[in-house]
Amino acid sequence: MRNAPPPNPPGEPPDQPLGNVTVGAEGQGSEVAVVSQLPARAAPPPAVAGPVGDRTRGLRRTIAYVLIISYALLMFVPFAWTVITSFKTRPDALRLTIIPDPFTTAPWQFAVDTLDPGIITLFTNSVILAGIVTISNLVLGSLGGYAFARLRFPGREILFLVVLATLMIPDQLRLVPLYVMYTELGLTRGLAQYLGLILVLAISATSIFLLRQYFLSIPKDLEEAARIDGAGFFTTFRKVMLPLASPALAAVAILQFQGTWNAFFWPVILLRDRDHWTIPMSLYLFRESGGLVTNWPPLMAVIVIATIPILVLYIFFQRFFVEGVAASGVKG
Amino acid sequence: MTAAAPAQRAGKHGRTGERQEALAGYAFIAIPMLLFLVLNIGTTLFAFYISLWDWNYRLGPQELIGLANFEKLLGDRLFHTAIRNTAYYTVIWVPLTMAVGLFLAVIVNQKIRGQTFFRAAFYFPAIASSAAITVLWIFLLQPDGLFNEVRGAIGLNPLYEAMGFGPNHNWFGNSGTAMNSVIILNAWTTSGTFMLFYLASLQSISHEVYEAAAIDGAGPWQAFWKVTFPLLKPGHFFVATVGVIGGLQLFDQALIGGGSNGDPQYALMTVVLYLYNAAFSQFNPGYAASIGVVLFFVILVISLIQRRLFGNTQAA
Repeated sequence: MRNAPPPNPPGEPPDQPLGNVTVGAEGQGSEVAVVSQLPARAAPPPAVAGPVGDRTRGLRRTIAYVLIISYALLMFVPFAWTVITSFKTRPDALRLTIIPDPFTTAPWQFAVDTLDPGIITLFTNSVILAGIVTISNLVLGSLGGYAFARLRFPGREILFLVVLATLMIPDQLRLVPLYVMYTELGLTRGLAQYLGLILVLAISATSIFLLRQYFLSIPKDLEEAARIDGAGFFTTFRKVMLPLASPALAAVAILQFQGTWNAFFWPVILLRDRDHWTIPMSLYLFRESGGLVTNWPPLMAVIVIATIPILVLYIFFQRFFVEGVAASGVKG
Repeated sequence: MTAAAPAQRAGKHGRTGERQEALAGYAFIAIPMLLFLVLNIGTTLFAFYISLWDWNYRLGPQELIGLANFEKLLGDRLFHTAIRNTAYYTVIWVPLTMAVGLFLAVIVNQKIRGQTFFRAAFYFPAIASSAAITVLWIFLLQPDGLFNEVRGAIGLNPLYEAMGFGPNHNWFGNSGTAMNSVIILNAWTTSGTFMLFYLASLQSISHEVYEAAAIDGAGPWQAFWKVTFPLLKPGHFFVATVGVIGGLQLFDQALIGGGSNGDPQYALMTVVLYLYNAAFSQFNPGYAASIGVVLFFVILVISLIQRRLFGNTQAA
C-alpha cells in the first residue's frame, strides 16, 4: 500500500536526522540497528523484578524464548518450503519430505523454457521497471525535497500541503480515471504501457517528504558558504547538499525499489501485454490462466526468483527497510 | 543619510536574489508538481466526474445520470457482500495483528539474547511481494499441502475433526474458511510491521514510570496492563488507523486467491475487488468510479478522526 498517511505530522522537523542510523540506546551497540530510526531517548525498560521469586522468573523467560523462537521459525518455514519444493518433482511436491527425492532442476528448466513469458523475461522486466522508478524517485524526490526544505518561494507551504494530500487519496479511486485517460492517450498499448506505469510511480509524496525532512536537519552553514562563493542554486544542491543526504537517499532507494519490485495493483491494471508482465503479476496470471493450478514446483521457482533480490537487499540494508516502514505505513 | 545608501543597495540586491531563489524553487518542483497535479489531483476530480455518468470505455460519456450510480450501490447485493466481507476482514485482522505485533514488540524490547535477529526475523515476511506470499500460502493450505500434512503428522486431526474440518480440508477453496485464511496470512506478513510501530511507541515511554511501578510492588504482568498498555494509547490509535485503512483496501490477496469474482462463492469479494470487477468485468467505469468515491470518503473520515485526536503524538 503506497498511500498510507504519513506517520509524521506535516511540517514538523524530525527530532533526529534520519541518517544517524547506527545511533541507538547506550549500552546496546548494534543491537538496536533494526529500530534505529527511533528516537534514542529511552532505553528499553529493564525486566522489572517483581515480588515473584527467581524460579518463576526463569520459567517465564524460558517460555518467552520458546514462544519467540517458534514464531521466528514460522516466519522462515514457508520460504524454506518454497525453495525445497522448487527442486522437487510434481508428485514429490505433495509429500512431507525435506529432502527432494529425486532432486531435480526440471521445474527451473520449465520456468525458463516453457513458461510464457519465461522467468528471464519476467526478471528483466521487473529489474528495468524497479530501476527506472527508483532513479526517478531519487532525482525528483531530492529536487522537490530540497526546494520544499530550503528554497523560499511564494506558495511553498500550500504546494507542500498538496503533495501531502496526495497520500490521502487511495490508489483505487484513481484506477478508473487513470485508465480512461491512458486509453485516450494510447498509453495502454505496446511499450507505452511501461511509460504509463512509470509515470504513475515516478514520484511518490513519501520520497519528497523523507528527503525534505532530512534536508531540514542539515545545518545551513555549508550551503551559505557555497552561495557566498558564487555557486548557483543547482550547483549548491548538486555539489554540497546531495552528497550530505546520502543516508536519506539510500532509504528512499530501498523503499522505492522494494515497493516497485513487489508492486501488484498498478502493473495488473496497466500492463496488458504478456511480454510486459512483471514477476508478481505473472504469479497471479500463471495460476489464473496458465495451467499451473496444480503444477507447483515451477511456480515455487518463480516465487524464489521474485523474493531473492529483496532478500539480498534486506540482509545488507536492513536498517533502511525499517526507516521505510516508518515513512510509508503498512502494506495492504 | 549616508548609512541609508548601502542598506538600500543591499535591499535591491536581496530582491533579485529572492526572485532567483523563487524561480529556482519553482524549477526544482516543476516536474513532481506537474505529475501530482495531473495524476493525483486531476484523476481524483475526474473520478468524481466519471461517477456521475453512464460511461463507456470506447465511446466516452454517454449520459449524465447524477447520483444514479450511488443509488444503484445501495441496492446492489454483491456490493453489500463486498462490504460485509471487508468489514469482517478488518474487524478480525486489525485487532489480531495488533495483539501479535504488541506482544512481539514488548518481547524484543526486553534485554534478550538475539534481539537484533528476532526483530529482523519478525519483520522478514513483510519484505516479500503480496503476490508471492499469497501463491505460497495457497500452496501451503491446499488439500494435500504442508499445513494439512503437518497437522496430520503431529496428530492434531481429531481436534480439527471436532471443529468440522476433514484431513484434506481446502482452506482457500472453501467459502467458510477462505477469508479466515487471508486473515491469518496477512496477520503473518504484517505483525512485524506493527511490531516496529509499537516499538517506536514503547521507547517513548519514560523509564521512571516503570521504576515507580516497581516500587509500588507491581509485577511485570501488572506493570504491563496498568502502565504500559494505557500509556501506549496514541500508539494503539495510530496502528489501528493505519490497519483499518489498509484493511479497507484489501485487494491483492483477494484477487489472487479468488479471481475477479472473489471465489469461492464471493467469499473473497472485497470492496476494492468489486471496484475492479465493475471496471474490468462489468465494463462499467462510472459505477466503478462511484465505489472509489465512497471508499475515498470513508478513508478520509477515518484519517481526519485520527489526526483530530492524536495529530501530534503519533507512534512512528
